[in-house]
Amino acid sequence: MVNLYFEPFIIPFCIGVVFLFSVMWTKFISWISALPKSDRRMIRRNIFSSATLMALWEAFRECLLHLRIMRVNGRLWYMHTSLAFGWFLLIVFGKVEAILYLKSPVVPIYVDVFFRKYFPFAHIGWLGVVMDALLLFVLSGLTAAIIKRFRPSVYGMKRTTTHTLGDKLALSTLWFIFPLRLLAESFNSAIYDSGSFLTGSLGVVLAAIFPSKALPYINETMWWCYSIALGLFFVSVPVSRYLHIFAEIPLVFLRSFKVRTSVRATTFTKLQLAACSRCGICIDPCQLAANEISCDTQSVYLLRDEREGGASLAKADSCLLCGRCERMCPVGIKLDTIRTSVRHNRRKDTSTFDYGYIASADVTLPSAKTGFFSGCMGRLTPSVQASMKKIADKSGIAIWFIDQEEGICCGRPQRMAGNIDAADSMRERIEEMVVESGITTLVTSCPICLRTFTEDYNLGDIRIIHHSQFIAELMEQGLLDVEHTEAGFAYHDPCELGRGLKIYDQPRQVIARLGQLHEPAHHRDNALCCGGSLAHMGLELDKRVMIASSVSRELEQTGADCIVTSCPLCKKMLAKSSNLRVADIAEAVSEHI
Amino acid sequence: MAAKRVIVIGGGVAGMQAAITLKNNGISPMLIERDITLGGKLTRWDRLFPCGTPASEVIGKQIESLSELGIRTVLCGEVSEITPGDGHVEVALTDGSSYEAEAVIITTGFDLFNATVKEEYGYKIYPNVITSADLEDMFKEGEVRCADGSAPRSVAILHCVGSRDSQIGHGHCSRVCCITGVKQAIELKQAYPDCEVYNFYMDMRMFGSGYEELYKEAQQKYRINFVRGRISECSGTLDSRVRIKAEDTLAGRPLKMTVDMLVLMIGKQAPATNAKFASELGIRLSEDGFLKGVDSFDGATVTSRKGIFVAGTATGPKNIGESMAEAVTAAMKAVEYVNSLS
Amino acid sequence: MMKKFGFTINAKRAIDLDINDRSIARQVAARVPSWSLCIGCGGCSATCTAGALTDYNFRKLHLLARRGETSALRKQLNNCMLCGKCTLQCPRGVNTRGVIAALMELLPGE
Repeated sequence: MVNLYFEPFIIPFCIGVVFLFSVMWTKFISWISALPKSDRRMIRRNIFSSATLMALWEAFRECLLHLRIMRVNGRLWYMHTSLAFGWFLLIVFGKVEAILYLKSPVVPIYVDVFFRKYFPFAHIGWLGVVMDALLLFVLSGLTAAIIKRFRPSVYGMKRTTTHTLGDKLALSTLWFIFPLRLLAESFNSAIYDSGSFLTGSLGVVLAAIFPSKALPYINETMWWCYSIALGLFFVSVPVSRYLHIFAEIPLVFLRSFKVRTSVRATTFTKLQLAACSRCGICIDPCQLAANEISCDTQSVYLLRDEREGGASLAKADSCLLCGRCERMCPVGIKLDTIRTSVRHNRRKDTSTFDYGYIASADVTLPSAKTGFFSGCMGRLTPSVQASMKKIADKSGIAIWFIDQEEGICCGRPQRMAGNIDAADSMRERIEEMVVESGITTLVTSCPICLRTFTEDYNLGDIRIIHHSQFIAELMEQGLLDVEHTEAGFAYHDPCELGRGLKIYDQPRQVIARLGQLHEPAHHRDNALCCGGSLAHMGLELDKRVMIASSVSRELEQTGADCIVTSCPLCKKMLAKSSNLRVADIAEAVSEHI
Repeated sequence: MAAKRVIVIGGGVAGMQAAITLKNNGISPMLIERDITLGGKLTRWDRLFPCGTPASEVIGKQIESLSELGIRTVLCGEVSEITPGDGHVEVALTDGSSYEAEAVIITTGFDLFNATVKEEYGYKIYPNVITSADLEDMFKEGEVRCADGSAPRSVAILHCVGSRDSQIGHGHCSRVCCITGVKQAIELKQAYPDCEVYNFYMDMRMFGSGYEELYKEAQQKYRINFVRGRISECSGTLDSRVRIKAEDTLAGRPLKMTVDMLVLMIGKQAPATNAKFASELGIRLSEDGFLKGVDSFDGATVTSRKGIFVAGTATGPKNIGESMAEAVTAAMKAVEYVNSLS
Repeated sequence: MMKKFGFTINAKRAIDLDINDRSIARQVAARVPSWSLCIGCGGCSATCTAGALTDYNFRKLHLLARRGETSALRKQLNNCMLCGKCTLQCPRGVNTRGVIAALMELLPGE
């Protein structure tokens, strides 16, 4: 006969566990089975490979130890890790304790959770110390969480997230769980004179305070409360941010299997929404928050609203898509793609476009194997094209200036607005035009165009590079000689070029050939957005200038003589707001020939 | 008792007029000019609207008066600091010298907008894109020439470059460019009757006396074309002409044309010294960086700092006549002030 | 009965602000405050690629929307590439893309 160890007080706990796991598994399994075919194929292909082991290791590192948070914010890391890893270890050692004591490998889960209640005299010396130490560890994390809620500044955070109703329920029960466990185990110790340094000592105190007759009743109540708190917490998990504890695990695995986040949202998007812990790390890097332009549109809020039934288009639109938050997300959620997918969903019924006319745009006839595409913004910054002509002449390279007569948009602005079909129809026209031209290299001075050419276009064997890379190569090959001067250049990394395409080094190599390179406080993958981003359709000019001014001040503080960037839009924005001269990298080069 | 002293900073038309007025009212003025010559921005101008008076004639008369009245003038004097005290003001120059007076009138004028900032118009990129100031240089030299030395057969004049443009943070109207565009169009036609001239404008602000008449003359007598639309982009052609894009907003259709020359009517902007004076002296600045008097009426030339007066284009874009009139007002306010000192 | 003479303005041609429904204009103005700043200089329509290739004219389109003449406008918007050149050149700092996005949502389809 199997001993079920049934006691009435375990009922709330058991209901919670059964509810949580059935809801969670139903969700996860339905999401995974509803993934697009191509994604499911990737899972089948990669599940029996090293990807699984890698994912296991990552899940341990990130879901339990939270190493990515550690790199960003030490105090926040302690809070997350003491709660997550501490609780995990409490469960593991609780199991060990039960198995060792009962000498049976199969013990019902509630027995090890409520082990002290079941076996008050069971005493494995070292394990008791370990369990008390772990409880203390978790309680310290809980204290840290309470401090964070009321004083986020202690964690170097300007703002912390606001809560939904589900969050509030889960949070309050979570706050009660461990203090109740401490009290329950201590009252147990008070009666049975057991327990280790923490629960034992507190037990002595409690025994002294309360009349011995009352102790068993209080003890029983405490265990009931503990079980109810656990049960309530488990029930509230699927409707609160705490679903992230479980959702992050399949996310790590699916990501490792190379499941893609698509602008046409799939169930992988849903899994990512669920995996957001709402830690709020994405709030502070946001320049819209820093400049107090909008403080409720950051990724954490977008994902929350989207999970709670659908974010508004206004909220989804209110973002520069600069990628600063995505870079910091400890869960590695594809925040920019998800935001674009929300835009796509909200717009797809009202956004209709018809670009039949673009076939009639005049383009010049191909005249060289290297094509230069200045893009729309390039038409408003003609000095970039003029400089490229000078550079080409000087290096003896023939360049075909593709959109000299009339420009066609690359489609990325539409893509960022979520209008993917519109973007695709532009893409098809440019693909056709470029491929038919017979060029072998496509150079563009616009990082916005470059990003979509790289990520979305199929241009066959045509090499796609940024003009800063092109210039760096000409210098490398000894085709372009420039004069090195004493001038100081502060380089501004454009979002699309830097965080978007990871092109950081070539522009710097080029500048180093011209003079002294200065780095502003935020640079490379931590660079600031100029405020000009086409991704934000609601941002008014004065607000953009406000952002640009803060970026310009930082660039001016380097003591450089000139600000250099490599994006026509960044150039326009910085030129509006800086007292220093702002030049595109091609202009700076052509002035040193 | 020695005559009361007033220092006038800036020797353009306003500054000279202020100094002359002061002297005629029993004050001992001193004029400090940063440049090597008097006359300010006007020295670069050929003829003035609306009557075609040579700029040199206007400046010449003033310089003559200055010397007749024996007004002390310091050239190449750059002010480093103005220190107001109790009933007197000290003006220090960068060369180390310093002067004391009972009051100061600031008439430091304006800066011309740097047209390279509006990169889309191609100034300094395409050789035949020039500014209104460059065109005045050519008028002074006696001939208008394209980069290749030929006379222009078609010229487009673009109004509001660096004025009324939020994109570059210049919200204000420079007031004189509309009429300058009309004046320069007429002068071009007078010199080259076969040349086609087009004025691209957002609004024609013909507020001054004789302006509307000049506008009509440009339309009827000189057959100058007026297109209501702002040029948005320019590009260079292989033969160095300039291709422009605009919308003919009255026709409601995009307009493209190729011209031999594009003239940008560059606006007036507050000089960098305004911000310096404002912060040192605690004077208010307008949103566009011009010096502000205590009010827009009787106190327009009187600042919140006792003994400091302002006039001319340092307080906002003006034409010559208005600058001079404001200078007289500032001078008389200064006279009143210094005479009230015991 | 009064006899009609031929000197009245043809009703079909006139913008009749007595009857036009300007609720869409009010909604756009609320969403994009800078919209009211337009002085109709035509810079947006001059720089517009779609405007050079089709009869799409953003200046006229949004002016008609402002006057409540909203019929037949939605289809014209289909030509816009959202490239943002119009926004960058607007001397009054009108957030033209914001206006387009708002009109896109609010204008009735055909």
